[in-house]
Amino acid sequence: MLTITKYTIKEMIKKRAFLLIAILTVGYLFIYGYGLSLAFHSSNSFTGNVPDIGKILLESQLLSAGLYFSNFIVAFLIVLTSVGAVSGDVESGAIYALLYKPLKRYGYVLGKFIGLGIIITVYSTLLFLSVIGLNIAFGTKVYLELGNILRALFFFDLGPVVLLSLVIASSSIMSTVNTGVLAVMTYGIAMIGGILEQMGSFSTDATSQGLSNVGIITSLILPTDVIFRKMNAELLTQNTGLSFLAQGPFGGTSQPSPYMFVYIAFYICFLLYYGARKFEKRDL
Amino acid sequence: MILETQNLTKQFDGKGGFKDVNISIDSGMVFGFLGPNGAGKSTFVKTMVGLLHPTSGFGWINGFSIGTIESKRQIGFLPENFKYYDWMTGKELMKFHAELYKMKNPYKKIEELLDLVKLKGHENKKIKNYSKGMQQRIGLAIALLNDPEVIFLDEPTSALDPVGRIDVREIIKRLKDDGKTVFLNSHLLSEVEMVCDEVAIINHGHVIAEGKLENLLSKNTYVEMVISDYDSELIEKISKLAYDIVFKDGKLTFKIKDKDSIPEIAKIVVDSGAKLYQLNSKTSSLEDLFINIVGKDEDVC
Ligand SMILES: Nc1ncnc2c1ncn2[C@@H]1O[C@H](COP(=O)(O)OP(=O)(O)OP(=O)(O)O)[C@@H](O)[C@H]1O
Ligand SMILES: [Mg+2]
Repeated sequence: MLTITKYTIKEMIKKRAFLLIAILTVGYLFIYGYGLSLAFHSSNSFTGNVPDIGKILLESQLLSAGLYFSNFIVAFLIVLTSVGAVSGDVESGAIYALLYKPLKRYGYVLGKFIGLGIIITVYSTLLFLSVIGLNIAFGTKVYLELGNILRALFFFDLGPVVLLSLVIASSSIMSTVNTGVLAVMTYGIAMIGGILEQMGSFSTDATSQGLSNVGIITSLILPTDVIFRKMNAELLTQNTGLSFLAQGPFGGTSQPSPYMFVYIAFYICFLLYYGARKFEKRDL
Repeated sequence: MILETQNLTKQFDGKGGFKDVNISIDSGMVFGFLGPNGAGKSTFVKTMVGLLHPTSGFGWINGFSIGTIESKRQIGFLPENFKYYDWMTGKELMKFHAELYKMKNPYKKIEELLDLVKLKGHENKKIKNYSKGMQQRIGLAIALLNDPEVIFLDEPTSALDPVGRIDVREIIKRLKDDGKTVFLNSHLLSEVEMVCDEVAIINHGHVIAEGKLENLLSKNTYVEMVISDYDSELIEKISKLAYDIVFKDGKLTFKIKDKDSIPEIAKIVVDSGAKLYQLNSKTSSLEDLFINIVGKDEDVC
């Protein structure tokens, strides 16, 4: 299993996919940083001792937006790198030479998951820290405590791991193309569901209940959006009680319940178990 | 028995594959598995190495049930559609596979095998840049990496040049000398004839002939005699030892079951007072046998 993990990571590095990704990421961060610098220094006339609430709100929104798109990029990267993790080997025939060996099939699947998980987590962490770093560097007025940042980082990395478990399970059962379609569709559904749920929280009538039900269902299908909102809340809800900062199109007031996180843990384990089991039974 | 199956069956939704195959192979044998395209050869091998799950029946390798980790420790396998991670170099690929076997110090073995399959000098090239034949060679090296007791080769020379085919033949002979068992899928009959001790012929998923190569071939010994001054009594006597007797233009041709009946028949001819001018015997080639058996099988279907 660990051999598979090791070589999965090696493959990513060797294939230079990461070099390209790194270059594009730097480009993204550059544009984001440029945007921040424009926004932060636009209304410098207010320079007083008391930071103005409107400005903090704007800056917190910029921070959330940066993280939102970063999260999106990571998801995109998962789809690109991992849809063929297992199915690619099956389709090319490289799997024959591997699985006649005394190697457990579930070990192969888990090995791939861990290898890709490590790469994705490293990338996601770097991206998260870069976005936070840029905000701090440009002098954001949003108060960012280390504890908040670390808790937020945990959730920022958890989302990709959840998506990855879905992709790996699907890749062990279906073709690369079908896995790609499934991953993109479910991710899209989770995103739209999250937006609808937020909209629901703004209105008060019966539609609100309907919308938030849609949100709950979609977050059961793929809880990435819920996790993102949790991340946002962890980052921006402060001891001082400034929780309203977490609101807005990229954040949200509706906080996931603790049961959601029990569900998420179960979700990852179940998908990996189901995928590996199906793969064991499969004719190659 | 190093390899044994009992009514082993693999079918795809009730079609294709192979059915009720009973084979047993002694250790140290080179076993040829023959059959036309789509007969079920590759399906059989993939089932034996645990890539396919049998529909029914049993199979054992060195006493271990097929598909188990223990049985997989005994085997090496060169797939028909060999494909390896092509972003590695030849040497890295070998090292990767050695690591899958948790081999402690594989470098010596790797060098030895690269030498055996004549890839020395190409080991630092990426697999991507290997020719098809070179990929098949490295596949063979990988199949031998763990010093397996049983080696399954599915058309191991399909991509090789004539010299490469001879090399593979030599490698198979060496494996046999080392006491290993080789299971060879092939439809190159001359190749099989040269290296195999035992063969089985499969058609439409059924094994239709099996046995020691020499026995199978000698079943089909043709004898041709030119005689004169004979009588019908002589023909009758010969027909007790032979079959498919044809008499034409003073030439008597027939088939015999056992080579030992040749001198016997000659004696009968001479003793009867007939004149024997010429006697030729010829065992049919594997190709004749194959065409004969598979052809007859087609007629039935
Ligand atoms: N995955 C599969 N699904 C359905 N049918 C299959 C599958 N694999 C093989 N078959 C069928 O099983 C039969 C045997 O195929 P197999 O590949 O074992 O033939 P073969 O003897 O190796 O032929 P060749 O000499 O062409 O390599 C064929 O009729 C084939 O169509
Ligand atoms: Mg075949």
